[in-house]
Amino acid sequence: MKRGYLKSSPYFFRLIKIALTLTVLTLMALTALIPAPLQEQANLARVPNPVKSAWFLLWIQELVSYSKYLIYLVLALTAAFIALPWLSRSAPPQGACWFPRESRVVNCVALAICVAVLALTLVAMFCRGANWQFVSPF
Amino acid sequence: MIEDFLKHLFPRAVLQRNLTLSYTLCLGGLAFSCLMLLAASGLLLLFYYQPTPAAAYPSILLLESSVWGGRYLRSLHRLASHFFLVLIVLHTLRVILTGAYQKPRELNWLVGCALLLLAIFEGYTGYLLPMDQLALWATQTGMELLHTMPVGGALRAALVPDGVGEPASLLRFYVLHILMIPGALFFLSGLHFYRIRKDKGVLPYL
Repeated sequence: MKRGYLKSSPYFFRLIKIALTLTVLTLMALTALIPAPLQEQANLARVPNPVKSAWFLLWIQELVSYSKYLIYLVLALTAAFIALPWLSRSAPPQGACWFPRESRVVNCVALAICVAVLALTLVAMFCRGANWQFVSPF
Repeated sequence: MIEDFLKHLFPRAVLQRNLTLSYTLCLGGLAFSCLMLLAASGLLLLFYYQPTPAAAYPSILLLESSVWGGRYLRSLHRLASHFFLVLIVLHTLRVILTGAYQKPRELNWLVGCALLLLAIFEGYTGYLLPMDQLALWATQTGMELLHTMPVGGALRAALVPDGVGEPASLLRFYVLHILMIPGALFFLSGLHFYRIRKDKGVLPYL
């Protein structure tokens, strides 16, 4: 075995097994506390107000509620996200590390987008009432 | 045989420092653990779920009221799906913030992007299946969002030929949710792991 290396079995696989076990146990415990909701049977004649999308799409719903053309911003961000390795001109870091200096711009933009998505999601989830009017969450 | 296959997905040896949890936080592994849990719990739910507009909701009621552990199983599936999405997003953020998407890992970045988008689509198709008010109107709103996109109308027509919650659309969401998207997710996850192994050594990333 070369210096600095370890055999995957058992060292790496042990880590995987621990992660799997912890994930399953955590989820099983949390499930006992958070039951899945079930509303009344679907009825197209009864439209709730407000109508909200799935939680992971709420940020897009909030965004297009300002202007439907903002959907192009979502598409542009998605395209930029996919093309990131070709858009980023910084040299790859020589070692594994968080926040490499060479990628400072990309890191700042990525964090800003994450914060914006999170903020839009929270606003749509807690601050939108009937007719998508802004309401206080408290 | 399965154990041998799984072992071959990973390198025979790894850099000791790459096993440091503070670097990867094991987010990808945790997300894949959620995917396996989703597959296992979803497989059990298949024994009771009926993918027709008239029978879907009653089959969920039956599962929750008359099947031992049925309500718990459905809750576990739902919670695992939330965790799955959150962990994939966090894993993607970690990859960006550590610069691990850069050359020579572009192909694996694309595979990861496909996994993220498929995971979102999987969550979306699963949302409709209980056929309660929350499911119907969340899916309907998702379709309206899709409609605002270029070629969104054509995509909507392909996914929902007869209206959200109608027989053909529910069947399509069901087949996509239980067969096609999970199949793609597992295939791409295998490819993702394989590429990690292939790319290893060029940069000291896990």
